[in-house]
Amino acid sequence: MALLELNNLKVHYPIRGGFFQRVVDHVKAVDGVSIQIEPGTTYGLVGESGCGKTTTGRAIIGLNKITDGTVTFEGQDLTRMAHKNQHPLRRDIQMIFQDPYSSLNGRKRVMDIIAEPLRNFEKLSPDEERRRVQNLLDRVGLNPEAAFKYPHEFSGGQRQRIGIARALTLNPKLIIADEPVSALDVSVQAQVLNFMKEIQKEFNLTYLFISHDLGIVRHMCDEIGIMYRGRLVEQGNTDDIYENPQHIYTKRLITAIPNIDPAQRQESARTRQQIMVSYQQDLKELMDAEGKPLALKTISPSHQVALP
Amino acid sequence: MNTEPVLQIKDLTVSFRIKDEYYPAVDQLDLTINKNEVLAIVGESGCGKSALALSLTRLHDTKNTRIDGGLIFKGQDLNKLSPGQMNKIRGSEIGMIFQDPLTALNPLMTIGRQIEENLDYHTTLSKKEKTKRIYELLEHVNITNPERVYNQYPHELSGGMRQRVMIAIAIACRPSLIIADEPTTALDVTIQSQILDLLKQLQAETEAGIVLITHDLGVVAEMADRVVVMYAGEVVEVASVMDLFNNPMHPYTRSLLASMPGANAGQDQLHVIHGRVPSLQNIPRGSCRFSERIPWIPQTAHAQNPQLDEVSPGHWVRCSCYQHFHFEDEGKGLVMDGVAGAK
Amino acid sequence: MWKFTLRRILIMIPQLFVLSVLIFFVAKAMPGDALSGAIEANPKVSAQVLEEQREKLGLNDPAWVQYGRWLGNLFQGDLGKSYVHKVGVTDLIGSRLANTFYLGVAILILTYVISIPLGILSGRYQNTLLDKTITGYTYLSFATPIFIFSLLVLFVFGFRLGWFPTSGSVDVGVQPGTWAYVVNKFYHLILPACAGALVSTTATIQYLRNEVIDTRLKDFVKTARSKGVPESKVYSRHILRNSLLPIAAFLGYDLTAVLAGNLFIESIFGYPGLGQLFLQSITQRDFSVVTALVMLSGLLALIGTLLSDLILSWVDPRIRMG
Repeated sequence: MALLELNNLKVHYPIRGGFFQRVVDHVKAVDGVSIQIEPGTTYGLVGESGCGKTTTGRAIIGLNKITDGTVTFEGQDLTRMAHKNQHPLRRDIQMIFQDPYSSLNGRKRVMDIIAEPLRNFEKLSPDEERRRVQNLLDRVGLNPEAAFKYPHEFSGGQRQRIGIARALTLNPKLIIADEPVSALDVSVQAQVLNFMKEIQKEFNLTYLFISHDLGIVRHMCDEIGIMYRGRLVEQGNTDDIYENPQHIYTKRLITAIPNIDPAQRQESARTRQQIMVSYQQDLKELMDAEGKPLALKTISPSHQVALP
Repeated sequence: MNTEPVLQIKDLTVSFRIKDEYYPAVDQLDLTINKNEVLAIVGESGCGKSALALSLTRLHDTKNTRIDGGLIFKGQDLNKLSPGQMNKIRGSEIGMIFQDPLTALNPLMTIGRQIEENLDYHTTLSKKEKTKRIYELLEHVNITNPERVYNQYPHELSGGMRQRVMIAIAIACRPSLIIADEPTTALDVTIQSQILDLLKQLQAETEAGIVLITHDLGVVAEMADRVVVMYAGEVVEVASVMDLFNNPMHPYTRSLLASMPGANAGQDQLHVIHGRVPSLQNIPRGSCRFSERIPWIPQTAHAQNPQLDEVSPGHWVRCSCYQHFHFEDEGKGLVMDGVAGAK
Repeated sequence: MWKFTLRRILIMIPQLFVLSVLIFFVAKAMPGDALSGAIEANPKVSAQVLEEQREKLGLNDPAWVQYGRWLGNLFQGDLGKSYVHKVGVTDLIGSRLANTFYLGVAILILTYVISIPLGILSGRYQNTLLDKTITGYTYLSFATPIFIFSLLVLFVFGFRLGWFPTSGSVDVGVQPGTWAYVVNKFYHLILPACAGALVSTTATIQYLRNEVIDTRLKDFVKTARSKGVPESKVYSRHILRNSLLPIAAFLGYDLTAVLAGNLFIESIFGYPGLGQLFLQSITQRDFSVVTALVMLSGLLALIGTLLSDLILSWVDPRIRMG
């Protein structure tokens, strides 16, 4: 059974207009996304800015209001639950944010930042709490003394580790990582990605990995969904997506990745040109009347594409 | 290739003041940028690449920055010019493109006005001619409806469009040198490839020299003719793009390439560089600055006060440690070298 | 834009209604009425006469009846009658309004004339002697309560040096309509206007200074410099306009505040404006005047908000009212 299952998830925002500020239309940020994530795996949600990938992640954790559809976690529908009942399950889903500089409260000590989720869910004595926090810091490879420092005393990579430690506090089963390394330098990025893989193995974590960087997604993910205008255009395992992309938008994304072999420069420029031409020709046919991607069709047991 | 130099950087040191003391963020740098060449400057945050970019047109805050050395551009030393003379060169002879096109454009000014400003100071065109030239420029950067964009404000355009406008501003007076500081970092990958293509196309037309500052080795591989790798305020390696990717020498260059996802396909763990980038005040000056990041390499492998040595024509490497360098976990067969070769 | 404006004006109606209820009942809840105090204490006035008067004035009716009457009159432009001054509140306010307006405009103009250049200079030449002098001045004026400052000004320039008049808005006996009258009016205005302005510049200078310092570091300023725009133009075209945006947001409030009167300045300088009237009316329990004045300033505050929004959408293309 899938750990997390999104079924036809929709997040629409009303646009108000006219004299009485009535709802005249909707921005369909997420418009019918269905995803299944198996325990212990990493699902990469990929797309360009404005495609709805971040909104999807935030909707799962309850930061965006869900308009329609279901979010099933361990067989229970999170959307049907009253806020309070959701709590025990909420412990099991945590989030890591993009910017390690702004997502940590600068006026709180690392101790308080990491212990915050604990305080919401468990009543521990100060002593127990301190032990838990220092244990967590140890797990993310930081010195236990770090607990008494403030976020600004750490480097970007270390701060992202603090963010991860906070997400790990309640022993979650699922972590939603929204662009966790895009604010970091290449070498620091490597550090954080390695670490995420290590703890995944150690605690059998499941990741929903939201990113625009196809290189990183390839490295991190088992399954990948490509989002475009609020819907998935293609979904499959890493090989399906990178070796056998079917949708023209997926092809365009993949060919846009800079090739790290300068010898192939001309060739990849030519490929990119060809893809761009067919993208401009074909895209219309691959969209419905609203200009949104068509419904997904299964083309192999692991691979689905939004083709007519 | 034509190797007529556009800008010669001679013994350039850019120092920032921290509590009454000046610390060099760029240290004794020598470099030549040629006509019709894309020179990429690569490194991580804090390596001095952005400080270098701004110093080339002396855009630093003069109160807290000191620029020493020569910037020989078309026979004159930019570092010796008065602010007024410098303003004549900025925008006409040297164009600049910045990272985030949203913040780099004045939110209260129309696009047309912001391009026009450049023409105001460097041409004697009439108002009508300027408008015509702006339309041409907008078309040139592949904006299809210049009349409309002319009257729009930056917030009304997409990120890619804004960066096109920035490029239009930079090339408005046909500069012979373009400095692009992380021009695609804030953009989506499909937009990035379009902007890079545009830069290449413009260069082919104008034969301008381009200094491309970036942290993205993929962008370097796509764009650069020559590459300069910087670490802690120093150039550690200079090479043609082919040499750099096929035969990287300096331990830092090799480590950086190894830490890229996709560099070693199928591998579970990425290469991590030991330790962290030193802050400006803590740079170990006078010895190999990278030595503390590769502690398993014996101190004897490093040169005292290491200099750039030309190891093959056009390929320069700093310090002798590259000859003895190996990855810490190399024996385990985890890390392969030479990214392009690994694919 | 007109839609936005009209909608905002319509929303003002319920806001004003709530305000009127609040004001009326709070005023009623205060101890005493127009007949308390001086009149009540007068032994010649018997309790019976007082009671008759109260009955006649409707002061014994249930509160909501009084409110209804008051509101009805309000709609007809009748703000009631001042119990103290024995004239209609409308007339009373009207005669003071002009004075308050002159003083308010004078203070406003002086404030901006002083604070905009000072704020910009201070920000542009941050940490120089000039900046430190200007900041020192703002600290000083911030730390000095307005009434102490005003009293000092009044004492030195009015009483000690005798350069300026010490009270009133015009000398007795000067014929209205003559040039001498205008000059005399202006002469009376100088001291209170300067006192008011010197204190009110503080916030604007500090705000502008910080804005200039922030804006100076923005990327688009770097872009402007990279185009070869001379430093003076970088300031006048790029930094200045962007720094003035938040100031423009306050302009609406400032414009309407001109009419609300300045309590301290008017009282200390014996300047017959609305602020002085307000203070007097409170001490004399002249409720009809107090409620009218509070209603007026409430209305002005609402209009001020609207004006500010309109000004902001006019100067900032990113804000468009739909």
